[in-house]
Amino acid sequence: MRRSIGIALALLLGAAVVVAVVLGNGAGGPTVVRGVIGSEKKPFFDDSRVRAAFEKHGLRVEVDTAGSRQIATEVDLDGYAFAFPSSLPAAEKIKKDRGVARVFSPFHSPMAVATFKPIADVLAGAGLVRDSGRGYQVLDIAKYLDLVAEGTRWDELPGNTAYPARKRVLLTTTDIRTSNSAAMYLAMTSYVANGEDVVTTAAQVPRAAGKLAPVFLDQGYSQSSTEAPFEDYLVMGSGKTPMVVAYEAQYLSRLFSRDGSITPEMRLLYPAPTVLSKHTLVPFTEQANEVGRLLTEDPELRALAARHGFRTADPSAFTDLVSRHGAPVARDLVDVVEPPTYDRLEQLIGTIERLYAGGAVPQAEGGS
Amino acid sequence: MTARPPGPVPGQMAARPLRPVLRRVLRPVLALTLALGLSSCASGQSAGDDPEVLRVLAGSEVKDLEPMLARSGVKVKISYTGTLDGAEQVAGGGADGRYDALWFSSNRYLSLIDGASARLSTQTKIMVSPVLLGLRTAKARELGWQDGKATWEQIAGAARQGRFTFGMANPASSNSGFSALVGVAAALSDAGEALDAGQVSAVTPKLKEFFSAQRLTAGSSGWLADAYARQGGVDGIVNYESVLLGMKDLTLVYPSDGVVTADYPLTLLASAPPHKRELYGKLAAWLRTPDVQREIMASTHRRPAVPEVRPGPEFGSAPLLELPFPNRRAAADRLITAYLDEARTPAHALFVLDTSGSMSGERIEALRQTLVMLTGADRSASGTFSRFRSRETVTMIPFSDRVGTPRTFTLPAGDPGPALEEIRGYAGGLGADGGTAIYDGLRAAYVQSLQGDPDHYTSIVLMTDGDNTDGASLEDFESLYRMLPESRRARTFVVLFGESDAAEMNKVAALTGGAVFDARDSSLAAAFKEIRGYQ
Repeated sequence: MRRSIGIALALLLGAAVVVAVVLGNGAGGPTVVRGVIGSEKKPFFDDSRVRAAFEKHGLRVEVDTAGSRQIATEVDLDGYAFAFPSSLPAAEKIKKDRGVARVFSPFHSPMAVATFKPIADVLAGAGLVRDSGRGYQVLDIAKYLDLVAEGTRWDELPGNTAYPARKRVLLTTTDIRTSNSAAMYLAMTSYVANGEDVVTTAAQVPRAAGKLAPVFLDQGYSQSSTEAPFEDYLVMGSGKTPMVVAYEAQYLSRLFSRDGSITPEMRLLYPAPTVLSKHTLVPFTEQANEVGRLLTEDPELRALAARHGFRTADPSAFTDLVSRHGAPVARDLVDVVEPPTYDRLEQLIGTIERLYAGGAVPQAEGGS
Repeated sequence: MTARPPGPVPGQMAARPLRPVLRRVLRPVLALTLALGLSSCASGQSAGDDPEVLRVLAGSEVKDLEPMLARSGVKVKISYTGTLDGAEQVAGGGADGRYDALWFSSNRYLSLIDGASARLSTQTKIMVSPVLLGLRTAKARELGWQDGKATWEQIAGAARQGRFTFGMANPASSNSGFSALVGVAAALSDAGEALDAGQVSAVTPKLKEFFSAQRLTAGSSGWLADAYARQGGVDGIVNYESVLLGMKDLTLVYPSDGVVTADYPLTLLASAPPHKRELYGKLAAWLRTPDVQREIMASTHRRPAVPEVRPGPEFGSAPLLELPFPNRRAAADRLITAYLDEARTPAHALFVLDTSGSMSGERIEALRQTLVMLTGADRSASGTFSRFRSRETVTMIPFSDRVGTPRTFTLPAGDPGPALEEIRGYAGGLGADGGTAIYDGLRAAYVQSLQGDPDHYTSIVLMTDGDNTDGASLEDFESLYRMLPESRRARTFVVLFGESDAAEMNKVAALTGGAVFDARDSSLAAAFKEIRGYQ
């Protein structure tokens, strides 16, 4: 019943869009296409240059934000022309659920860690951060997980006078139950927790989830969408967010824009291993299809995406910007692992979610 | 807190208490402002939805921003409610269709409630303000904190030794109080990670030491600031940095082991239709433009929420360490319960209840039900937290043309069940007959309060539905009140009901430093529930 209503609504919506297109063209104004996206892409869609580029093609793209996992599971998509989560697995799920034929992955971004020089120095002293020798710094995830397992606090790190906080050494993430950046972080940490291997079987899930649950739960309250903790990092500094898991693009976008938000103290670290987040647009209407096509093919929009820190099908746009800004960026990422499949990742998240609900101390053997 | 959402819903409580919250700018002449507050509340009651208007359900903390919004180019209608009440309403779906957006000082407690996050769409942080301790400058110097540096450990130590007193808003009614409680608990627990229910139990003895110095409570951060500014009575208050920076002769103490910060997210409801989403987008973008951010910083002392605008020198340069916030509702609720039942100074609540003939019928029944609600019949979180608590003393003083026999109930530290049952029985036996000797009843309450434990936090609730017809006059009461030792002058919180004399009741509230809550056109229960935050 619910499904048939959904289809009826979708049909109505489709009809409404057709009417809107006809009317829109008649009135000379652009057609409004509304999508729900991961919050980290909102600055891109709000950029007046991006809006102007779409308007050249008769489109006005309006967006609401939600965690990518929420987009795939909770958000009522009937009111939207497209969904644009931050990962391929979430997009594949929506594609399957909605019976969409074609999706677009116009840009991608590796997961990174944004921090501050004094913090990076303290972590280097503790053996967690090293220089790659190729112009950027690397955070060793295996050593980080060891530190978390021991419950280490900042003021217990040797020689730490720069940040003697009494709270635990924990990367700030978003809420694993809602957000893609946290899920991508889980993907990379699960690779390490699973003995340097992608979690592929259900039997591996309880053990890996049990090991990784404190990485999320011990942080306390986490925000639901990726732009929020990154903004806290920019605005409130190391007191609230000494190190935050972010998309590389979030950091580079700010750096490239020279808006002053990236101060000389700030540092970008590449986790080893890391994962790539493939931002993938799932269209539900013809106009949204056009939005996806333009993002993928239109040279102007591709150039703007690079300015927003994304890596696109045209690597030179990105590397040119990196060179121009002297950014400490990994041009070719070597230590990249594949995320688990959607179902496996869901099992990992589901196991941690149950620990949230139950408040139980995670057991290495797992209870499910 | 205060004014409740408009649009009366059948069968649902919809009190419109007169606003006891007055921000700094509105401070003079309490009673007058309260009377004016009524008419502005009443205008928000239209059931129809104007497509050009963004309907926002908000906490009273953002009230000072409302005048600015007129310049945003978006028509905004704001309805104010309490933090916890609002959170429950949103999580239960009660805000869907009635509002388009939310604007509370924090979404954290809300997000802990099952089902809440699915009701929220885009969240946009508008400004930032940590919850801190502000102390009279002389007291801060005496304690060696004149540079604003101390740890919660040191603050709790000084509190234990009785070296200072403070006021703080009730954590069950106000986000500032709840944030402070979370911060103190996290800092004193030595845990390093977010508190769970077990760690809350472990830290409760330390919380008790800290809160032994609390001598003033309030249902809202705004009222707390006003009460402190008007009457003092304590050495300082816990409040938002923004409120404290706007007050005179205060030294702000920035606990170096951490704080909890409000970030005022303007939040779109997932149920909002597309045209409202556009209004939301416009308003959120306007509020984050650098000029508006600078104006908010200059006029309200809140820190900017965008990196393009840097905080001014008034905020100091010390980095603010943020303490982890619980990520489970059970831990948050356990913390509030530990505060109410174990850590806080226990309350002595005196209720002066009109049982005159005019109360007969529906009115006395409403009063009975209200008292029963306060014994735990309201199972919502806000209902649970506002009921009579362990260690509390409750005195009922009925009056008609003369004062009835006062009856005192003492709730033990352990199981308050039997005492609550007694109160329920007492409420059921209330009748209505005779005249209205308001001030005889009130005088009896003050006499009773003198016999109570001086270490309890004593307050009086006066509920009447008409004019004073018998016994002492307001002037008689005033002369008695002025004879009381200053330390024993309890505040009187007045509930207007039926045909109350609003002007005279405002005088009672103003004289005693209390406040007035209006239940004339709405529910007695909601007014009482709100007053519980002040007890």
